[in-house]
Amino acid sequence: MTAFAALSTANYKASVRDKTTVFFTFAFPLLFLVVFGLIFAGQEVEGSGRNYIDYIAPGVLSWGVGNAALFGIAFTLMQWRNDDILRLIRMTPTPLTTVLASRYTGALVIGLVQAVLFVGVALLPAFGLSLAGSWPLALPVLLLGVTAFLSMGVVVGSRANTPEAVAAIANSIMVPMAFLSGSFLPIDLMPAWLQNISRALPLRYMNDGISTALTGSGDLATIGLSSAALAGFTVVFGVLAVRTFRWSNNS
Amino acid sequence: MTTTHAIESSTPSSEEPIVEAGTESAVVLDGVRKRYGDVQAVDGISLTIRRGEFFGILGPNGAGKTTLIEIMEGLRQADAGTIQVLGMSPWPRNVALLPRLGLQTQKSAFFARLTAREHLATVAALYGLPATAAGPALKLVGLTGEADKRVGDLSGGQRQRLAIAGALIHEPELVFLDEPTAALDTQARRDLWQVLRELKAQGRTIVYTTHHLDEAEALCDRVAIVVTGAVIALDTPHRLVGAAHVPTRVMVPVGQLSTDQAGALPGVIRVTVEGGSVVLETTTAGATLAAVGDLIGLDEVQTRTATLEDVYLELTGSETRS
Ligand SMILES: Nc1ncnc2c1ncn2[C@@H]1O[C@H](COP(=O)(O)OP(=O)(O)OP(=O)(O)O)[C@@H](O)[C@H]1O
Ligand SMILES: [Mg+2]
Repeated sequence: MTAFAALSTANYKASVRDKTTVFFTFAFPLLFLVVFGLIFAGQEVEGSGRNYIDYIAPGVLSWGVGNAALFGIAFTLMQWRNDDILRLIRMTPTPLTTVLASRYTGALVIGLVQAVLFVGVALLPAFGLSLAGSWPLALPVLLLGVTAFLSMGVVVGSRANTPEAVAAIANSIMVPMAFLSGSFLPIDLMPAWLQNISRALPLRYMNDGISTALTGSGDLATIGLSSAALAGFTVVFGVLAVRTFRWSNNS
Repeated sequence: MTTTHAIESSTPSSEEPIVEAGTESAVVLDGVRKRYGDVQAVDGISLTIRRGEFFGILGPNGAGKTTLIEIMEGLRQADAGTIQVLGMSPWPRNVALLPRLGLQTQKSAFFARLTAREHLATVAALYGLPATAAGPALKLVGLTGEADKRVGDLSGGQRQRLAIAGALIHEPELVFLDEPTAALDTQARRDLWQVLRELKAQGRTIVYTTHHLDEAEALCDRVAIVVTGAVIALDTPHRLVGAAHVPTRVMVPVGQLSTDQAGALPGVIRVTVEGGSVVLETTTAGATLAAVGDLIGLDEVQTRTATLEDVYLELTGSETRS
């Protein structure tokens, strides 16, 4: 087995054996989707003429995927550093890039499985999502979104030294961002100044891009802007990630 | 894995220490220093470890042993001094050197939620080896029965043995073990001695720390005693014991010899009564024993010569008192 395959296998086994992670990755976002979806079933959002589910499904999807990407890598890095696993890897000839590539691939696969699951549920008659022909364009946005949140997660995981610190920092980033970016409440219902603030948040762009691709609510330019913005966030947090990365808790 | 052939072909035939240790150097340290805040953890250490040598680093808690080993491994950067490991510098991360080194750290590292076998298979893959390497490594440390247990469910000693298996899985030339026997039970400790002796017989170099002085005496070709970051003694256990002039203790059952009689015998420097014996401390064991033999015969007489532990306590004790 190559180092890449072995690390991916170890990562996969560790993930599926951790019931809490499985719950927060798949069941928890699904819960939001089901609850909001059923409450607002069949209702239109005032002023936009679009269904609630057209907002909520892409919104919960983006938040769930971003959340899992950020938490996943942040927890792993913190834990690997605490357990000295990073030092163990460092003492083998396997390059750090292989470790990161394996984590990256893992995060992309999780994001894809989440997307299929959430969209599949939203398509059920009870929720009533219908896909636009442009839906495949959601894939590049998904990929760029996972990448952006992963790079944020590396920063969080490099700074935080305890599980509590990871959870506190990651939640205080993700929870306000989810509300401000319209993951749970349609962005068109928010006052203009809040909508402007949301333009500074990566989740807003992921929402916009995925929502446009899945429901045809915007045009190709929206998807282009979203992708560009997510790539921009990746560069910024990627630089920060490289600067904050540590092999161990003491130097 | 290209390096193991060289090891096998140079396998020495005798187990005689020193002689078999090559003249080539495995580790050369010169003036190595490392400071953490206001703690001078390593304070100018220079020493050479020969290839094929079993080298012990001894010293009290906080002496700087782990720091020194981590500097040799390339896990830590020294503040000053030069470090050569197998002819190369271990810092910054030296990928050419890494497959030739094996290490078990004092705080062992395991992949989360994997079994013992899965953990070792992952480590093997990081060295570019097949997953099948896990089986022999588990067997080497006697963990075959525990192969499919989660690492978190292993006992402390079993986890330590797993860490040692991880250090040896790629058959490294130079092995660093930081207190490998600390959590092991008596039998597991002896089993590990056997493993370590076999590694040495294969021509590998072993650098290790321990707080078990009997073990260091039994295994090491040479030991360095480190106190507050400096080497205060470095030699074979035999020569350290010989040079220390720690008195030999001759023990005679109480009643056969009075303390006054004992004190008058040649070479006796001190007489005490301990645990049912009159204990004669002597610097010339031969003369004292002959005299005791003349008086009461030697049938029930026991002797205890100085051990590395006595020497260690004398050296480290005087060092910390001063
Ligand atoms: N990361 C660190 N930061 C600050 N001080 C440290 C660090 N690591 C070790 N020290 C200090 O450096 C000194 C040497 O520590 P080291 O771990 O090398 O000792 P040791 O000889 O291995 O001890 P032990 O026998 O307990 O394992 C100690 O005073 C310790 O407190
Ligand atoms: Mg130590």
